[in-house]
Amino acid sequence: MNNDVFTFLVGGKAGEGVKKAGSVASHIFSSMGRHVFQMDDYMSLIRGGHNFSVISTAHRWISSHYMKANLVVNFDKRSCETHVNDIAENGIMIFNSDEQELENGIGIPLTSEAEKYPMKNLMFGVGAVAILAATIGFEKEEMNQIIKDEYPRGIENNIEFASTIYDIVYPDCGNKFFLEKGDRERPIITGNEAISLGAIAGGLDVYYGYPMTPASTILHTLAREAENFGLAVVHAESEIAVINMAIGSAFTGARAMVGTSGGGFALMTEGLSLAGITEAPVLIILSQRPGPATGVPTYTEQADLAFALSAGHGDFLRIVASPTTVREAYYLTAEMLDLVWKFQTPGILLTEKHLSESSMTVEIDLEKSKWAEPKMYKDGNYKRYQDKDDGISPMLFPPSKKIIKWNSYEHDELGITTEDAKKISFMHDKRNKKLETLIDYLKEQQIVKIIRGENNSNIFTYGSTYMSVLEALRCGSLNPTTVAPIYLNPLPIWELKEFKNQDNIVIEQSSTGQFTKLLKEKAGLNVRNTIKKYDGRPFDPLELSMKIKEVLE
Amino acid sequence: MEDLKTGAEITWCPGCGNFGIFTAIRNAIPILEEKGIKRENVVITAGIGCHAKIFDYLNLSGIYGLHGRNCSNSEGIKIANPDLKVINFSGDANGLAEGLTHTMFAAKRNQDITFILHNNSVYALTTGQFSPLAEKGWKGPSTPRGSYEEPFNPMSLMIEAGATFVARSFAGDIKHLTDIMVQGVEHEGFSFIEVLQPAVPYHKWAEYRERVEYLEKEPETYFEAIKAAKEKHKFTIGVFYRTTRPVYHKELYDDHNPVTQKISREIRLDKIRKFLSDK
Repeated sequence: MNNDVFTFLVGGKAGEGVKKAGSVASHIFSSMGRHVFQMDDYMSLIRGGHNFSVISTAHRWISSHYMKANLVVNFDKRSCETHVNDIAENGIMIFNSDEQELENGIGIPLTSEAEKYPMKNLMFGVGAVAILAATIGFEKEEMNQIIKDEYPRGIENNIEFASTIYDIVYPDCGNKFFLEKGDRERPIITGNEAISLGAIAGGLDVYYGYPMTPASTILHTLAREAENFGLAVVHAESEIAVINMAIGSAFTGARAMVGTSGGGFALMTEGLSLAGITEAPVLIILSQRPGPATGVPTYTEQADLAFALSAGHGDFLRIVASPTTVREAYYLTAEMLDLVWKFQTPGILLTEKHLSESSMTVEIDLEKSKWAEPKMYKDGNYKRYQDKDDGISPMLFPPSKKIIKWNSYEHDELGITTEDAKKISFMHDKRNKKLETLIDYLKEQQIVKIIRGENNSNIFTYGSTYMSVLEALRCGSLNPTTVAPIYLNPLPIWELKEFKNQDNIVIEQSSTGQFTKLLKEKAGLNVRNTIKKYDGRPFDPLELSMKIKEVLE
Repeated sequence: MEDLKTGAEITWCPGCGNFGIFTAIRNAIPILEEKGIKRENVVITAGIGCHAKIFDYLNLSGIYGLHGRNCSNSEGIKIANPDLKVINFSGDANGLAEGLTHTMFAAKRNQDITFILHNNSVYALTTGQFSPLAEKGWKGPSTPRGSYEEPFNPMSLMIEAGATFVARSFAGDIKHLTDIMVQGVEHEGFSFIEVLQPAVPYHKWAEYRERVEYLEKEPETYFEAIKAAKEKHKFTIGVFYRTTRPVYHKELYDDHNPVTQKISREIRLDKIRKFLSDK
């Protein structure tokens, strides 16, 4: 069914270089001109446990990994036990024969061969790359070059070790898989890299964060690139500090962004409300993991949707949008940065571990990204909260001879505290006008992804689940219409109207069906069935396609 | 001087120590201007409490933040545009209860901001509860039998946290307070100024005036400073500690300024192209 896809799975303990081996494999495939999707599954620990990476590659755009792998490499016993059912038909499993003997599969004495080298714990990853190289018919010279580039510490030992493993594997399954070359090499990036780059492209000046999986790698990426792009990137003492620092920076005109996951976002909500009343443009990246509370730190879920839509006390506009692909995460982050500045209100880019930390080949037209520009004050009296028909007061930043006051209390147009009944309702009305202005603006943009199909049923989904759905439809040869709203607040009901009374199925990763509820309540959508997954794992396209088939029939 | 007032109705109690702080800051700004600091480069932040009303009265730009969080606003302002001089007003509950972590970390980082702590040792605006600097035994509506906690020692706390200018002054000595404020703003690094500030429904000016003493000699070393902070009674005013240490924004990006030296879109896109070609 998915003959066009080749999948490589590598598993072992944390600290054995599993993820690194996975990304080397991804680069091998992309350098062949193929499309790649890599999903890393790891536990919240530093050593031990069980980690694995799955990389699926195809000759065409691919938007999910597949759990049935053609080549499975297990470093340890636990990995063999975990992935015993993850071997595709005609697939092979290669295991560490120093850990156990198995009837099915090919045993390699990985541990005893690695022990010959000083950095034995780091050799397993090199071994996995050698196994992959042999099975997909790479010459040794090609393999050696890859090892040299990717494992520069102790090159000679690494090459010698790789060569040994290659020779052991080759007689049994050398050149077993034929991977056709593609048209051109594409960059591979994670969702969090796409978000970071999109923010920079959109004009980011400062980023604040407090480490929290799965958002931390935005902080890491931007900290690494800070000097290169002239950014200030700060790891602050708490998410409370983070959001308030961002608001302080926005006051100076700096394009500010923060990133976190559910727990950190909960701490930010007081500041989110401050951004609402001060009309501070701040972009928050909320990358979800399973909750409640600490939940499951390194896995994926979509259960913070309802929270994101209503977070923060009081009436104010929160723009919420969720990217459906890694590529779109780039454009949408720049666009959201622009929107929060255009509309002077906080925005939340809602995503998930599955998008944040998975990586895929992308083609990005950099010039297409938005550049965040606010409406600026020109002349006359300056009033920070001047009433305008569209609700948007022109901005001015210090240093200026004019007085610019941002105020957390309800205030008059000058930003001075007020408790006057008329002024209170006046200022509410002024801020509320921004929603209508925003809707008018969004009506001109493409903010819902609709792929017209042939079935009488429609599938609704959003966020990274969109990628799983597209891959499931492809591998199951299914052809319903798919609808994925990118904006969740305001929800583009004007685009969803036509589907209202049709046969609709929702696919999401929330145990209570938060997205389903939103569609029913806000768009009045008739929803016949919801396919849910809430075990922390993203959907597998094969499994999902069977579920969709059942529901469609 | 008058032009530093917004004209908003002042609602501090008559005789409140906050008037002294308001006068001193309006004295300090012109002096700072004479020293070359432009008025438009001075921005203020306030938290929530009686101290914070100064935001509405003082005709300077800034942020009237959340209770306990304005120190983070101040840091965010300084980090984004280090050309700005940030004066951060705070009450003792705003800065040492709800906002304690932020105050400590701003000192730890040696953020180049001036933190003015209005110490009235009480939650005045919320009707007289005990505060982080209230004497043990303070009887307020939340502690009818008297509070059970010892107050912080703000001087030793801030020296320990990493502040590089630590001083105490008194709202009843405008000259001293003005002078300390000027020194604090001029100091490059985290300046912490505690201001003894009676809240008239709860305190008597006479009690302050009787007890206020001047620190006879500015300590010269860290250990002398700690010793003075620990040994002198809490109505001792003067500079307890002054030192130099690299400021946070310079550690972060040297002489760069993220706002005024922003890298253009074209250069950014070129660099992103390069980033992607390496992936």
